[in-house]
Amino acid sequence: MSRRLLRYLDWPLLAATVALLAGGTVILYSAVQNSADPWAVVRTRLAHIAVSLLVLGAVLAVDYQTWARLWRPLWAGSVLLLVLVLVAGRSGGGAQRWLAIGPWTGFQPSELAKVTLIITLARHMDGHRDLGSWRAVLPVLVHAAVPMVLIVRQPDLGTALAVGAVLAAMLVAAGTPLRLLAGLGAGAAAAAPLVWRMLHDYQRQRLLAFLDPGADPLGAGYALIQSRIAVGSGQIWGKGLLRGTQNLLHFIPEQHTDFIFTVVGEELGFAGAVVLLGLFSLWLWRGLVIAACAKDRVGTLMAVGAVALTAFHLFVNVGMTVGLMPVTGIPLPFISHGGSALVAFGAATGLVLNVGMRRKKILF
Amino acid sequence: MIDRPPPSRRLQALSVVVASLVGVLLVRLWQVQVLQGAAYFRQSEENRIREYTLAAPRGIIYDRRGRALVANRPAFTVAVLPLELRDPPVVVARLAALLGTPAPQIEARLRAARARPFEPVRIARDVDPAVVARIEENRLDLPGVIILADPVRHYLHGSRAAHLLGYVGEIDSDELAARRTEGYRPGDLIGKAGVEKAYETLLRGVDGRLRMEVDALGRPLRVLSRQPPVPGRAIVLTIDLDVQAAAEDALQATGLDAGAVVVLDPATGEVLALASMPSFDPNLFARGISPDRWQALASDRRRPLLNRAISATYEPGSVFKLVTAVAALERGIVSRRTVFDAPGYFRLGQWTFGDLRAWGRIDFITGIAHSVNVVFYTLGYRLGGEVLAQYAFLLGLGEPTGIDLPGEVAGTVPSPATKQDLVGEPWYPGDAVNMSIGQGAVTVTPVQVARMVAALATGGRLMQPHVLLAVPHPQHSPDRVAPVLQRQVSLRPGTLAVLREGMRAVVDRGSGVAARLPGVAVAGKTGSAENPRGRPHAWFAGYAPADDPQVVVVAFVEHGFRGGIAAAPVARAVLEAALARQEGSP
Repeated sequence: MSRRLLRYLDWPLLAATVALLAGGTVILYSAVQNSADPWAVVRTRLAHIAVSLLVLGAVLAVDYQTWARLWRPLWAGSVLLLVLVLVAGRSGGGAQRWLAIGPWTGFQPSELAKVTLIITLARHMDGHRDLGSWRAVLPVLVHAAVPMVLIVRQPDLGTALAVGAVLAAMLVAAGTPLRLLAGLGAGAAAAAPLVWRMLHDYQRQRLLAFLDPGADPLGAGYALIQSRIAVGSGQIWGKGLLRGTQNLLHFIPEQHTDFIFTVVGEELGFAGAVVLLGLFSLWLWRGLVIAACAKDRVGTLMAVGAVALTAFHLFVNVGMTVGLMPVTGIPLPFISHGGSALVAFGAATGLVLNVGMRRKKILF
Repeated sequence: MIDRPPPSRRLQALSVVVASLVGVLLVRLWQVQVLQGAAYFRQSEENRIREYTLAAPRGIIYDRRGRALVANRPAFTVAVLPLELRDPPVVVARLAALLGTPAPQIEARLRAARARPFEPVRIARDVDPAVVARIEENRLDLPGVIILADPVRHYLHGSRAAHLLGYVGEIDSDELAARRTEGYRPGDLIGKAGVEKAYETLLRGVDGRLRMEVDALGRPLRVLSRQPPVPGRAIVLTIDLDVQAAAEDALQATGLDAGAVVVLDPATGEVLALASMPSFDPNLFARGISPDRWQALASDRRRPLLNRAISATYEPGSVFKLVTAVAALERGIVSRRTVFDAPGYFRLGQWTFGDLRAWGRIDFITGIAHSVNVVFYTLGYRLGGEVLAQYAFLLGLGEPTGIDLPGEVAGTVPSPATKQDLVGEPWYPGDAVNMSIGQGAVTVTPVQVARMVAALATGGRLMQPHVLLAVPHPQHSPDRVAPVLQRQVSLRPGTLAVLREGMRAVVDRGSGVAARLPGVAVAGKTGSAENPRGRPHAWFAGYAPADDPQVVVVAFVEHGFRGGIAAAPVARAVLEAALARQEGSP
C-alpha cells in the first residue's frame, strides 16, 4: 500500500473498531468468568480477532473496484456455500448454520454472505444507470432474495432480515424512486402473513413473547424479562465490572453471545452503554462520511451497505435486551463471542476503509 | 456520472435514520436504567435471593406423668417452586418417576397453588433419604424442585389415643380464610382434629426464615441471613398413658367392632383416658395422607375417624335409670324401703311394657341392683316426661359437656314440649314410661354420662371435663389448668346415699358383678340399650372407691348386648389400672 493510501485511511473508524474489539474482550471475560475455563474462551476470542483483522487487511489491500468486478463469482460462491450448509451443515441450537472446516472449527456462510452481498449488490445496482423502473429493480431483488430464502431455510430469520435491511438502505442510497420504494414496502408488508406461516414454532413464540413477555414468564418470555432486569438493574453507573448478579448467577441465556449487551448494561450501567453506543456512533458516522465522499457510486453503495448492516445489528441486538425488539439470534458487532460474525464485521470494516482510502477528494 | 442525481439527499436521509435508531436506543436505555433502574435493581436482588421457610416444630404433647405422646422427627419434604419450574410437563414427569407419585397428582397440587407462585408447593413429605439423594443428584434436570427440612409429627404410640390427640394436615382454603391474620400460608400444617386442633395456637411455633443467594438454577450459593424457627409450646395432658392403654386393650378384648371409654377424675373433671374403637394411626396424616388411603379411612363403614366418646350419640338404656332414680328420690315418691310389685310387665292402657323376668316383691335398692324395668316404669309414669327431662338436663344430658376437644355433640333429651321439634313425633303417654329406662328418643354421649356419674359421686358437682393439664413454661412453673365447676346440682344427702347404696348393690350382687374388684368398693350402673341398628348397646357407668370416689369410668360397647357382660369387664380393667396408678403416685 502506498503512503498516499495510508494517509487517507480513516483512523477514527479504525480506532473505534479496535476499541470495540478490545472492550468486547473484557466484557466477554466477565460474561464467562465463572465458567470452567474463562481464559480458554478469551484465547479463542483473541484468535477470532486476529483472523478478523487479517481479513480486514486483506479486504483493504485489494481495490474495492476489483472486488466489485468479481461480483459474479462472489455471489455464486456465497449461494453455493449457503446451499452446502443446508445439505451438509452442522446443527446448533435448532438450526443448521455451520459449515465445518476440519474437525474443530467451522464457520457460518450466512455471515460471509452478508458481506459479499454488500459488494455484489453495490456492483449490480451500479450497473443500472438508474433504478427507475420495476424492470431494473426486479433483478436486484432476485439477486438478494436467493440468498435470503436460503438463510431463512436454515432457519436464521434475523440474518435474513439483516440482509433485507442492507438491501433497503442500498436501494435508497442508489436513488430508487420513492414510488418504487413505497411499492416495495407495501409488498413486504403484504408478505408478512406469509412469512408468519413459514416461521418455526419457536420463532412465532419469540415474536408473541415480545408482544407480551408476561404471558409465559418461564418459557419464551424468560430471556426478555431477565435481560431487561439485568440492563435496568445496572442503573447509572453499573454494578461494577465482573460484579453483575444477573450475569454471575446465569439468569441470562446466551449471555456471552447474543445477550452480551446485558453484561455491559448491568456491570457498566447507563454510562458504559453510552460509551459503547458512542463508539458505534463514531463508526457509523465515519462510514456515512466515507459513503458521501466516495469517488464513485459503487463505493458509496458499499459503504452504505456496511453502515446499514452494522446499524441494523446494533439496533436489533441492543433493542432486544431492553424490550424494543423481539428475540432474534443477531450478534452485537465486534462484541459478541463468535468467529464468523467477528470476521464478517472485520471484512465490512475493511470494505468501508477501502472505499475511504481510495477516494479522490480530501475529506473534511 | 455527471448526470446521475447527487446521492447526498438520500444519504442525509439515511444518516437521519441511523442517528434516530441510536437515539431511540439511548432514550430507551435512559428509561430502563435511569428512570426504572431502581425497580429493576430490586428485581435483580429478588432474583438472586431466595427466602426459605424453616418450619417450626410443633409443641410436644406429654401425658400427665411426663411421658411423650407426640413429638417430631426430622424429615425431608420435596417441594416445587412454580416460578422456577421450566418445562413443567417434563420436570413433573421426572419427579413423578423419582417419587413414585402419579404425575396428575403433582399437577393437581401445583394447580391448586397457582395463586402464589413464589411460595414452595410441597409435593411429598417425609421422603425417603435415598430418594432425596437421587433428587439432589439430578438437580440439573429438575429445575424448580427443592428439598426442605420439615419436621414431621410423630405419634409415638401409633394408634393409641388417636381420637384424643387428633392429627395434623395441610391447611385448607376455609381454614386459611378464617386464620389469615394469624400468619398461615398455603401448605402450612394445622391441627385437624383432637388436641392438635384444640390447642393449635399453643402447639404451633413461629416459622423461621432463611435468606440464601442462589443462581439461576436455584442452587444455593451462600446464606445471607438466618432467623431460627421458634418451636411450639409443649403441653401436658390429663391423660394417663397406662389407663389409656388399659381402656383401649379392654375394648379390643371384647372382640367387638366399636366402643368407647371415658375415665374422669370426679373431683376435677380431668380426663384420665378417652378411648374410641376402632382407631387409626395419626402418623399416616403427618406424612401427608394419599387420597386413596384417605378415601379408605373416610368410607370405612366402621368409621374409625369418629370419636365415639364425644362425637357420637347413643341410646343410654338403663344407665338413664340413674336420672329416673334421682328425680323420684328428690320428688319424694320413693325411698330406699319402698317395695315394688314386679310381675315382669307394666300395663298402661292398651300398651304393655316388658321386663327381663318376673321379680316378685322387691325393694328399691334391689330394683336398682338388678335394673328392674317395672320399678322405673312405675316411677317414670308417676313423674311424667316433663320432670324426667328436667332432671336429665340438670344432670348435664342433652347439652355438650364443654370438653376441650373439637367435635362434641349434644345428644337429645325429648320432653312433652319439645319432642315434636326434636324427633318429629308427638309425645305419647307411654313415652314417659319408655324414657324412664333410657329408651325412646333419648340419646347421650359417653362423656356426658361420665360427667353425670362424676356429679352423683361428688355430691352434685358438675365439673367440666378437660384434657389439658398444664402448659410448661421455660421461666417459671407450669401454667396449670384450674378445674371448672359448671353447676352445683343441689341434691338431698338422702338421695345421694340411696343412689350410692343402689349402685354398690349393682356391682356387689346385681347386673354389674363383672366389674367387681377385690378390696375396692365399686359403684356402678349397667345398661343395655335397645337400638334400631342391631343388638343392644352395652353400657357400664360407675366409680370407685364407692366411699371416696377417685375414678369415674364409662365403658360403652356398640352392640355389646348386655352391659354386665360386655361393658362391665372393660370398666373393671380400667378401674384396676386407674386405682393402681393412684396407689403408685403420692
